[in-house]
Amino acid sequence: MTLHSNTQGGSTQLNCALKQTEGSGSRPCSIQLLIRFDPVRSGVMAGRGRGRRAMTFSVDAVGISRGESLPPSMQQPTPVFPVMEHKPLPLAVGEEAEYLLALKQEFRGAMKSLPCFIQPAAARRDVERYSDKYHSSELTDSLVEWTPDWRRVPRELRVHVRKAHRDGVSVSVSDRVQSGQKKKLMKEKEVLLKLETLEKKEEQASSEDEGEEKKKKKEEEEEEPEEEEYDEEEFEEETDYIMSYFDNGEEFGGDSEDNMDEAVY
Amino acid sequence: MHRACTGETRASGARGAGERKCCAVCVDNEKSHVSSGGLKTSAEKDDSPGAQNLRTIIHETDTSLDLVKKSLCVLVQHGTCVFSSGRKGPGSPTEYQTCSNWILRILRYPRYIYAAKTLYGDTGELIIEELLQRGHMTLSSTVKTVADRLTQNMEEGHSMDYGEVSNTFSKLVETHFLQRCPPPPRAGTKDSSTPATPATPATPATPASTAVPTPESFPDCYKIPHVTLAGRGKRQLSAEDGEDQRNAKKPKLDSQTHGDEGIYWQVNFERFHLHFRDQAIVTAVANKLDQTSSEIVRTMLRMSEVTTSPTAACTKPLSANEIFRSLPGSYNISRPILDQYLTLLVDDPMEFVGKAGESGGGMYVVNLHKALANLARATIESVVQERFGSRSARIFRLLLRKRHLEQKQVEDFAMVPAKEAKDMLYTLLSQNLVQLQEVPKTPDYAPSRTFYLYTVNQLPTARMLLQNCYKTVANLIERRLFETKESKRLLEKSQRIEAILASLQAGGAEPEQLTEVEEMITTTEKQQLEALRLHINKLDSAENQVDETIFLLESYVISTATSTS
Repeated sequence: MTLHSNTQGGSTQLNCALKQTEGSGSRPCSIQLLIRFDPVRSGVMAGRGRGRRAMTFSVDAVGISRGESLPPSMQQPTPVFPVMEHKPLPLAVGEEAEYLLALKQEFRGAMKSLPCFIQPAAARRDVERYSDKYHSSELTDSLVEWTPDWRRVPRELRVHVRKAHRDGVSVSVSDRVQSGQKKKLMKEKEVLLKLETLEKKEEQASSEDEGEEKKKKKEEEEEEPEEEEYDEEEFEEETDYIMSYFDNGEEFGGDSEDNMDEAVY
Repeated sequence: MHRACTGETRASGARGAGERKCCAVCVDNEKSHVSSGGLKTSAEKDDSPGAQNLRTIIHETDTSLDLVKKSLCVLVQHGTCVFSSGRKGPGSPTEYQTCSNWILRILRYPRYIYAAKTLYGDTGELIIEELLQRGHMTLSSTVKTVADRLTQNMEEGHSMDYGEVSNTFSKLVETHFLQRCPPPPRAGTKDSSTPATPATPATPATPASTAVPTPESFPDCYKIPHVTLAGRGKRQLSAEDGEDQRNAKKPKLDSQTHGDEGIYWQVNFERFHLHFRDQAIVTAVANKLDQTSSEIVRTMLRMSEVTTSPTAACTKPLSANEIFRSLPGSYNISRPILDQYLTLLVDDPMEFVGKAGESGGGMYVVNLHKALANLARATIESVVQERFGSRSARIFRLLLRKRHLEQKQVEDFAMVPAKEAKDMLYTLLSQNLVQLQEVPKTPDYAPSRTFYLYTVNQLPTARMLLQNCYKTVANLIERRLFETKESKRLLEKSQRIEAILASLQAGGAEPEQLTEVEEMITTTEKQQLEALRLHINKLDSAENQVDETIFLLESYVISTATSTS
């Protein structure tokens, strides 16, 4: 039997892997022996130089008697999903477990539909389509619905929502240059109503007073519902087509089961 | 006693790695993908204790400024992220720090909701659910939302009164299950010389303070504000098309205020944990002894709910007379029998109940920390038993009791043949459940002249198993997400079909049309869907149950920390 030991210069671990030499009878044994010892002293070092055949620790202490064959050495890393000798217990079943499960799944579903759940930007479709720019505004409605209490949140996180904005994402107030540019962009496309609200926002941006901002934001929010009804179908993004023109047939079948397909003579 | 999940666990890396992974995946699941990105950055920094400022977060996560802001708002709203003014002084940017504890509690939300249901009925359940979903809310908005939801489920013509819901809310606050959110710290907006406002006597005004005041350090923590709230729940008309849905999700701009603006309530998780701990102790007693003893212990715990501090090692001593008086009426046991039961409980080796004196017919305490330690020990023992077999478990238990044993002694005491004992010990050693202790006879640690003793330390083993549990949960969540992603197309198709069916039925279509639509899903697809549903249910259920183990081990680790500090 040979004993290989590697000491790591004064460090505290000695890993011995007991290997079986070739030729000796093998006994099927599937575990690898790892023995860890605390600080290694001169005894082991001396043993390594002096005699390879002698074990450097007392075999009895660890419990291996002489003549016994040791398990075969590991030839490859352990498999990722080894076979388990002891299968796990089955999951607990019962009314409580089922109720907890139902609660968990409902909670998850509810969280996904809340406005605080931030959807990552929808994956780009394979080809950019013309209708994309008219579709993107619909998705972002949820972003504007929820606002935290701004008093509880540090000032740098405050964002002001501009619904009419192209991207639909809120723009930081502190960035005046950007807002100036985007304001020009929006002016071209907006109806009078939106111009007015935008002017109000400009005033908001210039005045650093928190109280005023909040009040005007509330007004702005109140105006938004009215705006939305008005703008819904036709005036959004100033196209001449109603928004359902840009439907690309993905939602087909949802509501047209009432024999509309048949031609009317 | 408790089922330990014996799922696949890989070797654990750095301390906390399992927790961090678990956090990231939980938040990813519940809040948003973006939030989880920001969270990972703010949680994984090694140098500082996790506090990051906004610029760093944006830089590290590569997401747009607005999305980061939005997600930080969401995280602050839910209490998973706290902000404080910068460490370098009043002018430095605010820093954000995540509390991984809060995130890991997301796993336990169903349990909180269920506990509220058992204690306060459906109303309590919905209150807790709403608060958990939204982080924190005012009293009035909670009451309105819950009343509306309850009204939805009631029959036509009935509606839920706001007063009833408010009552339940007050009860929850009285028993400390709900608490007020602490006011936010003034994060560097005002200069540090401004005195703290009178409403926040404990707020640190200087930016150099590091301790975040707990909600309980504010005197108004459990005070219900005076609210004028009268009315009944409104029934939502079922949404006819998508447009109504969107309108319904908009926040209702109520023009009336109710006198409690700015006072937000949140769920008091610690109180729920105490409740779970008491439940665990009572169940353990019921399993070990019998139902009556568990009722006695339950009575004792109930009496000590308000008098015991959360970190106390034992409850306050209760006299046998008091216990006798407070027993529930359905248990008609006589006084001498109660004394016998108490003596039995005291003599039990699990030491749940201890005797603290003789006055008043005998003063008894419940040993909370000892009970937790015993429960944790039972958990660890059952883990060993399920993974390595009952003989290994016997060796393990032996080592737990006898502390240090030599190889030979282990074989003798455990009555296991030498070769097998050796095998088992080495397996346990390789899994780090058992450690080897050297006792040298000579100063040169010569191996032939040293004792090698096997030993088990309960606390480090518990910690290690806790990290394994976190990894297990992370794996379970990952697998569930993977399964969902694999079958995304199928799931979407089935959702569309269901939506079509629902709209058809609402519109009153004929059965042939319904069957025609149903047949759009083939039978193989149905089978696949069924199998998928089964898998996901199993994974979810497993998460819940691993979380029970996590709770036990966590409580034990925390209890040892407080008792030694």
